[in-house]
Amino acid sequence: MTDVSDIIQRLRWRFPDVELTEQATADEVPTVWVGVEHVRAVLAAARTECPLETLYDLTAIDERARVHRAGQPASDFTVVYHLLSTTCNHELRLKVALHGEEPTLPSVIDLWAGADWYERELWDMFGITVMGHPRLERILLPSWWEGHPLRKEYAARATERPPFVMNDTVRAAQEQALHFDPATLGWARHTEEFDYMFLNVGPHHPSTHGVFRVVLQLDGQEIHDAVCEIGFHHRGAEKMGERQSWHTYIPYTDRVDYLQGVMNNFPYVLAVERLAGIDVPDRAKVIRILLAELFRVISHLVFLGTFAQDLGMMSPVFYLFTDRERAFEIVESVTGARMHPGFFRIGGVAMDLPGGWEAQVRDFIAYMEKRLGEIESTVLANKIFRLRTEGIGVLVSEVALAWGVTGPMLRASGVPWDLRKARPYGGYEQFDFDVPTGCNGDCFDRAQVHVAEMRQSLRIMAQCLRVMPGGSVKADHPLTTPPPRERMLHDIETLIDHFLNVSWGPVIPAGEASVAVEATKGNNSYYLISDGNTMSYRTRIRTPSFAHLQLVPLLARGLTISDLVAVLGSIDFVLADVDR
Amino acid sequence: MPHLLTTPDAPDPLHRPFLLGRLEELAAWGRRNSLWPFGFGLSCCFVEMATALTSKYDLARFGAEVIRSSPREADVIVIAGTVFAKMAPVVLQLYEQMMAPRWVISMGSCANSGGMYDIYSVVQGVDSFLPVDVYIQGCPPSPDAFMHGIQLLSAAVGAEHRPLSWTIGPQGVYLPAMPVQRDAKREARRAQGELPSPE
Repeated sequence: MTDVSDIIQRLRWRFPDVELTEQATADEVPTVWVGVEHVRAVLAAARTECPLETLYDLTAIDERARVHRAGQPASDFTVVYHLLSTTCNHELRLKVALHGEEPTLPSVIDLWAGADWYERELWDMFGITVMGHPRLERILLPSWWEGHPLRKEYAARATERPPFVMNDTVRAAQEQALHFDPATLGWARHTEEFDYMFLNVGPHHPSTHGVFRVVLQLDGQEIHDAVCEIGFHHRGAEKMGERQSWHTYIPYTDRVDYLQGVMNNFPYVLAVERLAGIDVPDRAKVIRILLAELFRVISHLVFLGTFAQDLGMMSPVFYLFTDRERAFEIVESVTGARMHPGFFRIGGVAMDLPGGWEAQVRDFIAYMEKRLGEIESTVLANKIFRLRTEGIGVLVSEVALAWGVTGPMLRASGVPWDLRKARPYGGYEQFDFDVPTGCNGDCFDRAQVHVAEMRQSLRIMAQCLRVMPGGSVKADHPLTTPPPRERMLHDIETLIDHFLNVSWGPVIPAGEASVAVEATKGNNSYYLISDGNTMSYRTRIRTPSFAHLQLVPLLARGLTISDLVAVLGSIDFVLADVDR
Repeated sequence: MPHLLTTPDAPDPLHRPFLLGRLEELAAWGRRNSLWPFGFGLSCCFVEMATALTSKYDLARFGAEVIRSSPREADVIVIAGTVFAKMAPVVLQLYEQMMAPRWVISMGSCANSGGMYDIYSVVQGVDSFLPVDVYIQGCPPSPDAFMHGIQLLSAAVGAEHRPLSWTIGPQGVYLPAMPVQRDAKREARRAQGELPSPE
């Protein structure tokens, strides 16, 4: 963790005349408020001098209905910049207060190119105008949409809104909205010698792994420029957090990155526990780590299988999905579910491990270790696979950091940034594992890092098997939801807690906390704001795929269409993780 | 269903194994055993749908493993996942590009009714703009549930009557009733006394 006073002190020396209001938060991330007129200067200085080279997250809070905000400057809409340094391992949260119903803010695209989509999201979700943004359009919702959903007055439910109608008029208008015109991007239709061809890929295409769209400006086979359109998978997960109780929101987190199951629960329950001040017993910690690493293997198997299939290999996807089924057998016997177990609870996990879990896990580890060798010799050593991935879509580490890239994609570019090592959470400090990295940052390195990471996950699982402590799987705390069943049946205090937490939901103390985990695709964090209620006041989900997909045009320029398929496959994104 | 008649000892070619049946039924039998799905996915459910194609589940047993990337070659579109307002016109266009006869499976709670996503950006049920033949429950449905859905559709397709050509026979399409499986299975489920232990 960072020395809080250090970064803020440095900014104070640098800007003696600027008022910097410090705010204490539950997660101990240095948090400071700055006036909107100074924000660009302070951000520029923080980027180069502190140095905080990564814009980790950029979001906003509608403060107009918030009660508990003692010590914070008055604000209607607060914009939050979350900066991160992977080299120095420190971070800073910078808040800007905006006023009125139509707030404005200067753009920071020139400081961090990756701010582009985040600033569009501010406009789309909150109606905050970002001055100087070259293309301030809706990003998650279609262009014909009205209103800004994350504003407090916006009706969240579909059933509170007029019924969905699809008739010829509506359809014609909506299809017109999907029509692509190169002129809107300032793209040339032709040069003096030749005409460009424009090719639309998606929103339904096998290589997009879901629903998103990329439009290419082509010179023959060569991609001259590209533009992505996302938002076809926007499920309003953040708005959902404002109406579900802290406990009943857990299943929604499962579906954010639908390939990584309980890994989604992890940052959420950690953030709630930070707000509530719950210490989780050791057994629950190790069960969480065991399942999270199992899901890392599951997610990476899907990545590798579909990636190989995109490159024309027919068999690997069948083999790897069969291996995935073996992992799901463990998941099914532990949690009862497959893809979306929702197994973590505030203060622990849902239940203890079933009898016979050791043998199942041991067999799986032994089987997979052998299998990974086969994967390497059949997929990674395949000549066609190598020809189609080596030297394609190279991402150098400086660019990756500036665009907020994390996870295997960043490690493939040679940066050994792994939150499990850099800032151990949930008990990872007790485990022994390596952080595999690549050196070229191309599509091949990304695949190789994924395979190496599966091996490390198996190593961690083997250690879980060895050290699994005894004891309870739920914390002894009134906000643990639901409380341990045997205690609930035994004493009246726990029965009351159970009744309150299950009927109304637990009341989490007011405060702010953001907890990040090393998810399968990169750093995934939940920034939760409690206003002392049974529901979250604001739930911000920072997902790795959103940051990664932004890079597609940068990686695709100069490549051919078939290379684009390799690049998309190697990024390892899930559209639900992009659009939330 | 056409009948296979065999008289293996007969020397006369006319008495060798041959099929006897109505051409219309033969076509229906062919359709029900070669339901080619459209390779179309929206979200989580599609991963389970794809899992049904792989070795452990082996959807090829029901002749439904031939995923088509073009809607014009596909017989059945599986709405596997959440139907988003932004995606709805695209889904409709893809459906309209399919050639008749065509069928729609709504897979998972989101496509069935919006499911747990009663939220501004989600269409509350794909049946608000597409004619759905089979609904599969679950969030996401397991590959087994998906295969059950394919089998139900296959049985219904086999029982359909369709004209062989616009010049032959009556032109109406007869669709069999699709009973609600909850009602069909109620007695068996009620009779079940104990659940097997997960251990």
